[in-house]
Amino acid sequence: MFIRKKSVWLFLMPGLLGLLLFYVVPFFGGIYYSLTDGTYKNAFVGMANYADIWKNQMFLLGLKNTLELSLICAPLVWVFSFAIASLLNRLRPKGAFFRNSVLLPYLMPSSAMLLFWLVIFDFGGVINRIVVALGMERVMWLQGSQMRVPIILLFVWKNLGFAVIIFLSAIQAVPEPLYEYATLEGAGFLRQTFGITLPMIVPTAFLVIILEWINAFKIFKEVYFISGSYPDESVYTLQHYMNNMYNKLNYQNVTTAAYSFAVIVFALFGVLFLTQRRLLKRLT
Amino acid sequence: MEKLTVRQPGGRKLFTRSVLGLLAIIMLVPVVVTILYSFCSPDEIDAFMKTRGNYDNALWMELKLSPKVFSLSQYYEILVLDMSILRMFVNSAVYAVLILLGQAVVIPMMAYALSRFRFRGREAIFFGIIMLMLLPFQVTMVPNVLTLRTIGLLNTVWAVIIPMWFSPFYIFLIRQFMLGLPNELLEAAQMDGAGTLRCYSYVVIPVCRPVIGAAIALSFADCWNLVEQPMTYLSQRADLYPLSVEFNRLAGSNAKIVFAGAALYILPALFIYLYFLNDILSGVQLTELK
Repeated sequence: MFIRKKSVWLFLMPGLLGLLLFYVVPFFGGIYYSLTDGTYKNAFVGMANYADIWKNQMFLLGLKNTLELSLICAPLVWVFSFAIASLLNRLRPKGAFFRNSVLLPYLMPSSAMLLFWLVIFDFGGVINRIVVALGMERVMWLQGSQMRVPIILLFVWKNLGFAVIIFLSAIQAVPEPLYEYATLEGAGFLRQTFGITLPMIVPTAFLVIILEWINAFKIFKEVYFISGSYPDESVYTLQHYMNNMYNKLNYQNVTTAAYSFAVIVFALFGVLFLTQRRLLKRLT
Repeated sequence: MEKLTVRQPGGRKLFTRSVLGLLAIIMLVPVVVTILYSFCSPDEIDAFMKTRGNYDNALWMELKLSPKVFSLSQYYEILVLDMSILRMFVNSAVYAVLILLGQAVVIPMMAYALSRFRFRGREAIFFGIIMLMLLPFQVTMVPNVLTLRTIGLLNTVWAVIIPMWFSPFYIFLIRQFMLGLPNELLEAAQMDGAGTLRCYSYVVIPVCRPVIGAAIALSFADCWNLVEQPMTYLSQRADLYPLSVEFNRLAGSNAKIVFAGAALYILPALFIYLYFLNDILSGVQLTELK
């Protein structure tokens, strides 16, 4: 049921005003800002800032790392959370303890949890003991490009739970008779998962990958806590670049970088969205 | 369901259980160990942390599972002797409370308007919210800074707080739940003569308890983990930083008490988790992006 009433504006007003004031209006204002030179006269320079930023090594490095990290992290969380949700669904109505413990890390603050990570990934730490027990050489996890491993694992550890919850509620909505019929036909767990569950929850799978991708773009704080504003070049993220430029008061540069990134993000999600639509059409 | 369990060989369920059991251990161990270590004596932890960062192939860090002697001295130090962590903790709490209060006013109302009303521009507004939700912080920080600078709030606590009040994700989360509310519920309230506002506060909000609880818990987790926002919006006022930004610096300067600090820092999040667990499980009903 929908209500048609003027009083709707009363409910909308506070949020709408805030969104317009803090996000929408300055977003468009910023486009003009990114086309000026930022001097006292603030002369119009056209696309010069964009041309500059696409030649800026540090920007390109940050962009590349952020995209790479998110391209590893988001699919990892996506695959694992779907697998875990399917396993949890098998145990239903039991398995509450497992489900609850997967959700716990999502609420834990990163900087407190990082302590444990630093201890186990130390050169003499537990992870290296396992590495040696498996017959390999010790690895310096907290330096150089190997640092990506703990960063990625920390991300997966923290974000897995929320994705599992979303998948689980979608899987539980799949009609039970479908599975009973499949079992009678002799389909095993794996066939049921990929033949029934996955096609039934395509929109949810799409939502989860988008949400995780947005989260993965944010990977920064763990790197910052381990190695500050100028980490190894394999983990120098876009946020590092933005913060460093911002602290040098180079606002034009920050704005241009942000909008260049926005274009990339929308292009990526646009492609994903079209893929999902295609997929749904083919399935129905 | 019964039939299915009988037909399946018991071994497979055992496999599922052991995979999930292993997973649960991985998920819980970091939190449990952090809390256990917080009961070590400061000297024990100091000695333990000093064995870190050693690049000698012959040396290992000690495998420590529990404290040698149960001690509360770490807590005594951070709660009584040196209160710098506690002060940051209070900062964090103030941010979290002010952000959540603002969100409580703005977000459910907006979600209600977008889910139960028909008006011109509804689709456009919702589309805008989805677009904003998709933008990462690196992008939205720019418009935020522009406005905050214009109205002179940059480098004040409000710079961190106010933009968070309009978090598009929580509008989306609550709206999706409200879309699923049964029509009869609201029709019955209207029959009884309740106006839109009464209907909202006496019918809609109470039945939305699960999703509101979920939103509180998830948003609290965000507030408790704020790093990027303070670092940029408060770049010239490091004294206003919350614990989330400063914890690692404080921990680096005094290794003796880090684990009690971390445990203290985790504690509110743990309470929120336990209190709102069922709300998160039943309130998060996100199935698609529209």
